Amino acid sequence: MASKDMATSEYIIPEHYVDTTPAAPLDQKTLNKMVWRSLFLQASFNYERMQACGWLYAILPGLEKIHTNKDDLAASMSHNMEFFNTHPFLVTFVMGIVLSMEQNKSDIPMIRAVRVSAMGPLGGIGDALFWFTLVPITAGITSNMAINGSIAAPFIFLIVFNVFQFVIRFWLMNWSYKMGTNAIGILTENAKEFTRAASILGVFVVGCLTVCYGGTKLGLVIPNGETSSYAAQTATVKNDEVSKFDDMVYDTDGTTPLATTDADGNDVTAGVTDLGNGYSEVTYMTVATTPVTIDIQSILDGICPKLIPLGITLMLYLLLAKKNWTPIKCIGLILVIGLVGSGFGIWPSIW
Amino acid sequence: MEYSILQVALVFIVTFICAIDQFSFLESLYQPIVTGMVIGLILGDVQTGLIVGGTYQLMTIGNMPVGGAQPPNAVVGGIMAAVLAISAGLDPTAAVAAAIPFSLLGQYGVTLIFTIMSPLMSKADQYAHEANPAGITRLNYAGMGFLGLIFGGVIRVHLREHLGGVDVANIVNSITALQTPALIVLALIGFGLAFWDYQIQVKFKVAGPALATEGGEEDGI
Repeated sequence: MASKDMATSEYIIPEHYVDTTPAAPLDQKTLNKMVWRSLFLQASFNYERMQACGWLYAILPGLEKIHTNKDDLAASMSHNMEFFNTHPFLVTFVMGIVLSMEQNKSDIPMIRAVRVSAMGPLGGIGDALFWFTLVPITAGITSNMAINGSIAAPFIFLIVFNVFQFVIRFWLMNWSYKMGTNAIGILTENAKEFTRAASILGVFVVGCLTVCYGGTKLGLVIPNGETSSYAAQTATVKNDEVSKFDDMVYDTDGTTPLATTDADGNDVTAGVTDLGNGYSEVTYMTVATTPVTIDIQSILDGICPKLIPLGITLMLYLLLAKKNWTPIKCIGLILVIGLVGSGFGIWPSIW
Repeated sequence: MEYSILQVALVFIVTFICAIDQFSFLESLYQPIVTGMVIGLILGDVQTGLIVGGTYQLMTIGNMPVGGAQPPNAVVGGIMAAVLAISAGLDPTAAVAAAIPFSLLGQYGVTLIFTIMSPLMSKADQYAHEANPAGITRLNYAGMGFLGLIFGGVIRVHLREHLGGVDVANIVNSITALQTPALIVLALIGFGLAFWDYQIQVKFKVAGPALATEGGEEDGI
């Protein structure tokens, strides 16, 4: 989006660094410092770039050490200000790998592709691992202790949770930085293929996000006439009155009993059971009419689930890419579509 | 019960820190189980604080902010539940229920901050183009400051309203129906943006005549 802004339109992020001599490996102190800074990944979280500014803040000590050339530092900072979002506890993995590439002065498109394809899957893994596993376990157990009045409960929660968090943050940083440094040779040799593969993965990630989080559904239901069906009834009548029910028990030929299926899917057949005390239990059919409707959403789901969120995402993409719309304008448009559509019953009503 | 100025100030500070902590720093200090105890300490009833914190925590487990979508806010909810239980002498479960509408205000606060931080990103771009690390650092501090202040403000208003007997929660309650669509809208815009951002950054290239001689390897992605 920056490239569309008036103020920043002059700056074009280069594809290569000016100084392509690999920098000295980062020392442990710098790596540790960046782990601490990674705690503030979401400090300036926003709907436009999500964690981008916090991400840049976290890796700055490393970037400043790596890029002694000021133009290179500007290039590196600029491409690291692009959209970024991952899980806050696993971010150090992405940091390690990106920093190893920066240190080797890899081409910027390649660093970018690796960053994008690493951040998405980690976001999903992290949510499952921390928010839906670690928190429920630690907080669940300690909550019960707290309800029973144990003052140790909050402390146990904090200690267990944060030990996990910091072990993972430090370990991932060191591991991925070393791995990145070792793998860099292979990566650079096959840069083109690798960049392309990583980019395809990135497109998948965006698609998956749309499916997972897009929940828009059509509320449109078109009436399409009525349908008639038999509904089974049971009555106990005197034997001499049974013949009155013949019409409702037998088909037009007078011998075949009518049959239908009830709400539970069981077959029900009409018929007469003589109870032996002068009465008979008659199961007969009445005709019930129910309106038939066409549920557009279920038809769309049959074609491709989540078609509407996909459509909205693509529409916004077109507006942003081709029409130079700002995010705020998009938010306004979607709000209007949502409110008006809901009023006309296109979306499920919120009124 | 009357609050002393010191107590109100302490609650404000706790809220300020927890508001930041819910997204940055330890990401665990803000949990109701912790804030319940801390608010209990400040208002002089640790036992009630613990019970309310634990109760709210159980309710909020699994209700985590995932993928940028905001659930009813656990910071405001947890703190208000403890405040209500201790100051108004509400039953822990009743206090938790009474705090839910307040947590929605927190949710709106977060959404607001996330929205107003968006235009500031062009400023961040400018700092990046100038290779100005200090500017980036300042922006991050500003983001955290805004979040802390708006949460502190929300809680402070609650404290005053609560004392004055006015229930702002009712106002929020009447517009709860809006929350889900609004969040979905914002999430979808984010994906649109992500996709778009991605498209420019990885430069969709049309395999033109010049590229065709190279085998057209960069034919699209």
